[in-house]
Amino acid sequence: MSVEHDEDRFEGRLSDALHDIGSGFDADRAALVAAGRARGRRLRLRRRAAVAGGAAGIALVGVGGALIVPWGGAADPLPSSSSVAEQPSGTPSAMPLTSRELITTLEGLLPEGKFSDQEARGTGDSPLPPYVRLVYDDGKGPGAVGVSLNRIEPGSDHARETTDCPDRTLVPHDSCVATRLPDGSLLRLFQGYEYPDRRVDTKLWSADLVTPAGQHVSVSEWNAAAEKDAPVSRSEPPLSTAQLKELVTAQVWRKYVEFIPEDPKQPTASAAPSHAVEPGVDSVLNTLVPLLPKGLDVVEKGEDYTYLVLDDGKGRSYVQIDVQHGMGDVADELFGADSETLPDGTKVVARESGGDKGVEGSVMWTVDTLRTDGFRVVISAFNAGTQHDAPTRPTPALTREQLREIALSPKWDRFR
Amino acid sequence: MRQARADEYAEFAVARAGHLYRSACLLTAGDTHLAEDLVQETLGRIYVRWGRVSRAGNPAGYAQTVLTRTFLAHQRRRSSTERATDAIPDRAADDGGHSDLSLRLTLLQALGRLPAKDRAVVVLRYWEDRSVEETADALNASSAAVRTRCTRALGRLRELLAEDLGEYATP
Repeated sequence: MSVEHDEDRFEGRLSDALHDIGSGFDADRAALVAAGRARGRRLRLRRRAAVAGGAAGIALVGVGGALIVPWGGAADPLPSSSSVAEQPSGTPSAMPLTSRELITTLEGLLPEGKFSDQEARGTGDSPLPPYVRLVYDDGKGPGAVGVSLNRIEPGSDHARETTDCPDRTLVPHDSCVATRLPDGSLLRLFQGYEYPDRRVDTKLWSADLVTPAGQHVSVSEWNAAAEKDAPVSRSEPPLSTAQLKELVTAQVWRKYVEFIPEDPKQPTASAAPSHAVEPGVDSVLNTLVPLLPKGLDVVEKGEDYTYLVLDDGKGRSYVQIDVQHGMGDVADELFGADSETLPDGTKVVARESGGDKGVEGSVMWTVDTLRTDGFRVVISAFNAGTQHDAPTRPTPALTREQLREIALSPKWDRFR
Repeated sequence: MRQARADEYAEFAVARAGHLYRSACLLTAGDTHLAEDLVQETLGRIYVRWGRVSRAGNPAGYAQTVLTRTFLAHQRRRSSTERATDAIPDRAADDGGHSDLSLRLTLLQALGRLPAKDRAVVVLRYWEDRSVEETADALNASSAAVRTRCTRALGRLRELLAEDLGEYATP
């Protein structure tokens, strides 16, 4: 018997065996379908929340965390949606945080001026997360200022939605800057509008801080005495972004978050450690696109996989990127003698290969980077519109230098 | 979702859930709990995109692709490098089927020893009966890469299964 024939027979037997064994598995289909539909609804809700999140971070507090259960546990794949309001538990600190303390703190942190219409909710008053708001007048007209506090799972989708800048086409805004502070906290400074459609021109400026310990501090201010239904009282909200940053990063707020009882039913407790969760396709691509050089069109965007197809007018070029955590253990495999180590310890290596062996003239350029904490960003560009089609151009649409610049951009730090 | 569309989705989901679950059981090498989770996730993702999926034609094939990618994404999250599953779930044996129990266990264990992507290639090629090109599309890989994986996986399975499958009657 020829080897080839023998191989064919093995493949045939394997296929038969798989069919027999596969067909032996049976599940409660109705339950699967019901659970699948429920997940779909949650996914959709999450996407809507992500869109709304840009303009209304505060409004999201209390619904977000409960929606996200990536791979929390197969045993209970459908946790009933729990909100902070329904599940007050854990042991609150001996003395609850009072509304008076919150008001005094905010007044103390604001520059001189007049305060009125103070309102706050401490941790003793309600199981809902604490907040404080007041009307502040620096002499140039009243503006509402509010601070809300909550716990959040760092690295979770919800945390990312809170600290990523929203897509300008979805949430129009004048400015948005997302940064990582030296202590590892993520900060988003946002200048937009109370109504994204700007039917009323009330400006909403906000600062959202998420610390590595899972404290979320959100400060918002308006150029009106109230969020809604108050006339515009000044051209801009009272605090500059620098002042907002100072206010949101004040240590006292983080201490106050610790007064919020921990909710054991929140996914924080059971979900895989956040560093093990790889970032979503959308958030990776939304980070990649602004890093691309000008003059390139994005003609295709991956939905289930992080790739783009670019066109600079000279033909299509497929670009794929991976953002991964915990890759330190394979550093030796990936970064050989030809790799370079930057002053901060980041390893960088450029590779060039013929792309797909079966395709004549195919070129693939790769730049692979590994931060000291095992965080890896690897990007490859091809001289064709897919990984396997015939080349459409002599070289990829991104140069090796551009690939390197993209892979080393500090913008990826938000996924670390 | 509008009612007509919702009905259409429900009909599709009911019709495909069983097959998706069986595929997922093979992908997970018999981890039925993970398989359920993957199918739910897959049906959830399809729910969100149902309008487009249903218009595009072959939603069943699309669902299979989503399942495979969901599985791979899960594996990638679980382990940073591609490595085979060492621990074989013992509950595979609980779901009594009509096939020979020991072959069933041996085959699932052998699948479990393959790296996740290789296992996905085997499931798509020999359970889904997809061509190399179709498999490559589903995995977002090149067909050359699929061929390499397939050869490697078959070699490994042959080592692990030769005796058991040797007696397996091919009609």
